[in-house]
Amino acid sequence: MKVYIPDDSAAVSVGANRVAAAFPKDVEVIRTSSRGAFFLEPLVEIDTPNGRAGYCNVKPADVPGLLKKKPTPISKIPFLAKQTRFTFANAGLAKPYDFAALKKARGMKPQQILDEVKKANLRGRGGAAFPAGVKWQTTADARGQPKYIVANADEGDAGTYSDRMIMEGEPYRLLEGMAIAGLAVGASKGYVYIRSEYPAALKKLRAAVAQFTDFEIEIVLGAGAYICGEETALLESIEGKRGMVRYKPPFPAVEGLWGKPTVINNVITFATIPDIITRGADWHASLGTATSKGTMPLQLAGQVKNAGLVEVPFGATLEEVIYDFGGGMPTGCKFKAVQVGGPLGSIFPKKLLETPICFDAFAKVGGILGHGGIVVYDDQMDMVALARHLMEFTAAESCGKCTPCRVGSTRAREILEAILDGDGSDDDLALLNELGDTMKNGSLCALGGLAPMPVLTAIQYFGKDFRRRK
Amino acid sequence: MLEKCVASPPNILATLQAVQAAFGYVPLDTVPAIAAKLGVTDSDVRGVLSFYHDLRTEKPGKHVIRFCLGDSCRATHCENSLAAIEKKLGCELGETSPDGKFTLEKVYCLGNCALSPNMMIGEEIYPRLTPKSATAALEKHK
Repeated sequence: MKVYIPDDSAAVSVGANRVAAAFPKDVEVIRTSSRGAFFLEPLVEIDTPNGRAGYCNVKPADVPGLLKKKPTPISKIPFLAKQTRFTFANAGLAKPYDFAALKKARGMKPQQILDEVKKANLRGRGGAAFPAGVKWQTTADARGQPKYIVANADEGDAGTYSDRMIMEGEPYRLLEGMAIAGLAVGASKGYVYIRSEYPAALKKLRAAVAQFTDFEIEIVLGAGAYICGEETALLESIEGKRGMVRYKPPFPAVEGLWGKPTVINNVITFATIPDIITRGADWHASLGTATSKGTMPLQLAGQVKNAGLVEVPFGATLEEVIYDFGGGMPTGCKFKAVQVGGPLGSIFPKKLLETPICFDAFAKVGGILGHGGIVVYDDQMDMVALARHLMEFTAAESCGKCTPCRVGSTRAREILEAILDGDGSDDDLALLNELGDTMKNGSLCALGGLAPMPVLTAIQYFGKDFRRRK
Repeated sequence: MLEKCVASPPNILATLQAVQAAFGYVPLDTVPAIAAKLGVTDSDVRGVLSFYHDLRTEKPGKHVIRFCLGDSCRATHCENSLAAIEKKLGCELGETSPDGKFTLEKVYCLGNCALSPNMMIGEEIYPRLTPKSATAALEKHK
């Protein structure tokens, strides 16, 4: 008898290791990645003639006699069955990685790979949504030598965990994507910059890199600085310096790591490459909306019943994701707002739930899709307290290079603290708007440029919270 | 010890991370030796040391708690568990408990957002915190 139990750190946090240890010796326990239905973890699966079936929320005490009970077919779990999985197609399985895409890419000319990625219209999944093919072509055409491939695994946006799941669950998919990028642009070495908050992912990634001989890859460990998710700050950090944002241009694609041409993409962007190579650019371009192609691994969090990873083609609405997949609010909680795109993402009220998951549809309503984090807030959340928290975050994480971000975030935090303490006035809201404009237009990078967005949208949609305290 | 910690090629951050891995923190009096070894100035080293939240210049408690203040943990009202922990430890975020057992640090996101609110003690994540489960987790660390 064989059972499959995830060793993903989220599953482990709710007892997957203790459950695995509770099985008797005659049961073979195979550790796998997690399917990302974290509300069901620990999810213990078995093989049946009709595919995998599982037992949900298993505790060690449930293990004796568990296998005599009737399991739920995985295909009958709506949260999973309704998804369109490519990047996370193997999540939860124990499938050896076949490197089919890398083998195919070896038979292609570098320009063919570049054309394929461009034709697929793959936009970066880290937040900026810049076309990956354009970045790659720029590096391929750049004169400097050597060239580098850098994976941004500094998944700092609170409410996101898809990079972590890839690194823990299928690290070879990331490494393969990087190796293909290396072939396309003629790079000699790759780096993965991983945040220190992910010790389990670091271990899995180290083990994978040690086995991976197709492309030289070095792992660099971050040290707890959100700004190092910004691509130029990340490069400074790899070089061992303070993570200070660089002026652009020159762009990293031309002058990046140690001044050399560098492709820097998010983990999910690289992890999407293998499917584009094996299935073809047309397949990728056939999924999604007019301007956002392919699938997006969304990450549900906060006050939502079924929190977990939801990979769907672009175009699904926020409402579908939160209610059809997420199951809506937990018992006793009432929806108030949703924040998409991490701590710099706008805060939306109920009426904007009809917004489709699409980079441009979000931009049109004044938001960002970012790295795909979706955090739901209930009616107990005071928007002034939330805005103050987010500005405190920006003030703590600003690299300090440009004045709008360095000074603006601290001033905004102080104003919000005054409002929170009941010392606010109408002038304060006007001042926050003006300060927000300055930060948006005058900041060097997206941290300062986007930080006012959640505050300004909170004032716009939940003005009552702010005025109540006057 | 320093000999072993100095990264090659010289890299200030990697060196400081190695020193902290060896001592638990980066004693300020090691800065001149690190700078000399790397061929940079003291202020270069201090600049990197003060920039990164992970790097400490004071000896931490026996266990380090990284309490998550990320958006999802805020959304699930982590402040209640934080208050319970602060009361139990007799120290606030950024401080070490008077008995030297725990250092309580904040962290912005542990990537366990589907099971918020979270904290990490050592490398172990404690999910779905309540004031009760949060203080109970402390009991497991002597």
